[in-house]
Parts: sequence; structure tokens; C-alpha cells
Amino acid sequence: MAAPFTLRKVGVPPNSANLTEARRRVFDFFRAACRSIPTIMDIYNLQDVVAPSQLRFAISAQIRNNAHITDPKVIDLLLFKGMEELSDIVDHAKQRHHIIGQYVTGEGLVQNTGSKDQGKSDFLKNFYTSNYF
Amino acid sequence: MATSFTSSISMQPRFSQATTTRFSLQKPVPVFKTNLSFTLRPRSMPARLAISCAAKQETVEKVSEIVKKQLSLSQDQKVTAGTKFTDLGADSLDTVEIVMGLEEEFGITMAEERAKEIATVQQAAELIEELVLEKTA
Repeated sequence: MAAPFTLRKVGVPPNSANLTEARRRVFDFFRAACRSIPTIMDIYNLQDVVAPSQLRFAISAQIRNNAHITDPKVIDLLLFKGMEELSDIVDHAKQRHHIIGQYVTGEGLVQNTGSKDQGKSDFLKNFYTSNYF
Repeated sequence: MATSFTSSISMQPRFSQATTTRFSLQKPVPVFKTNLSFTLRPRSMPARLAISCAAKQETVEKVSEIVKKQLSLSQDQKVTAGTKFTDLGADSLDTVEIVMGLEEEFGITMAEERAKEIATVQQAAELIEELVLEKTA
């Protein structure tokens, strides 16, 4: 009991038939992620920085972000990306500052933050996005 | 089991009574204060009472602590053994997260099918004790 948890390789499972199966996959993914947390804390030396419960909360917050989605195929894709991210982290393909920035503090990825010019005019916003407006 | 005995020495006489009453049909009701819902029917279904009172008080306490922390409840919110997680405002992801928190706290691994059935604090505490027993056995 309580043998060290090893993450399976990121496979390409058959698509979920319905929402129930997608839901089950989400919970399986969440469980796998939570069970990898001790390994992650060990790899990146996060013992003094964050508690496992905080990391669990960060993972569940990301899952909850997409909780409104009902299409099983979209859920499958999100799960695939999640599994990929988890594998990258467990394989030490990321670095400590990535983990801390994305999951410990509330910053997240740079690409996900809004642009700096929020106060500018609508004209400029449209101008930046496309040629035709 | 050894760790639980050393940490609860003051409650030892109660526990020996509880472990013997698990399989006999004596009334375990006066021993446990938290099973408020079960004290209403002391005579009907005593066998069921004996099984439901099998979880130790401290396990139930620890489970309640973790649940409260997870769902960000205030300290004076009543969480008893029979409280369902959904009553406290937890959705299914919260339930899974609580189960993972319990796994970390007690150092056990719960099988998915058994963990799916957990709906109340009592069930969680019982499953935990079963797994802890298996681990130390």
C-alpha cells in the first residue's frame, strides 16, 4: 500500500463517448496529478515555498476554470493538454521558476495575461487586432 | 494501530468497549457523542448502529478539519460524522480533492471505486481506518 506513484505515459485514449465518461477521465487525471505532487515537490525543491494542499488547490482551480464545458471532445482535448503538462512537469522538462510562477503565485503564463494597453481607445484596439473594422 | 493507541491513551477503555461492540449487539450509543442522528433510534437496527460507530473519534475529527480547510468553512461550523459533503457546498471536484487531502494526511491510497462512494464524513473515516489497518497489518 502507498507504493510510490508512477505516471503512465501520455497515451491517446479513444474519445469519450459521453459526458459521464469525460467526467470520469477528469477525475482520474486530477487524482493522478495529486498523487504526483510529492514527486513534483521533491524535484523542484518546493518544500519551503508551498504546501501540497496549495498545489492541489491550484490544479483544481485550473480544472474548475473549464468546468462550464459540455462537449466531450473539447474536454478530451483539454485533458490531453493537461496530461501533457503534467508529464512535462514530472519529467523535469520545466524549471522551478515556471512552476512557481504558474501554480504558486497567481501570475500564470505571459501569453494568458491581458495586454498592457487597456486604457487605450477602441480604435487602437481594433487597429491592433485586424485590418478591417 | 499502535500509533492510534499511543495517541489516544485517555480514551482507551472506551475503545476496547467499542471494538468489542463492533460485532456484538450491545448498545454502543452512549459512548459516541457525535452520532446525533443515530441516538434517536437506539433500539431499531442495532447491528447497523454497531457498524456505523466503528470509526474512531479522532479520525472523524481529522477528517472534519481537512474538510473545513478545503471548503474554507469557518471554525464554528458544525461538521459531524453524518454530514454530507454536498450539504457543505462541495461539488464533485471538491469531494475528490477532499479524498486526496485525506490520502496525503493518512498516507494511504484509496481505490477509485471505493473513493467514489464516499459522501459523508463518517464513510470517509471508516474507509480511512480500514486502509490504515491494512497498511499496518
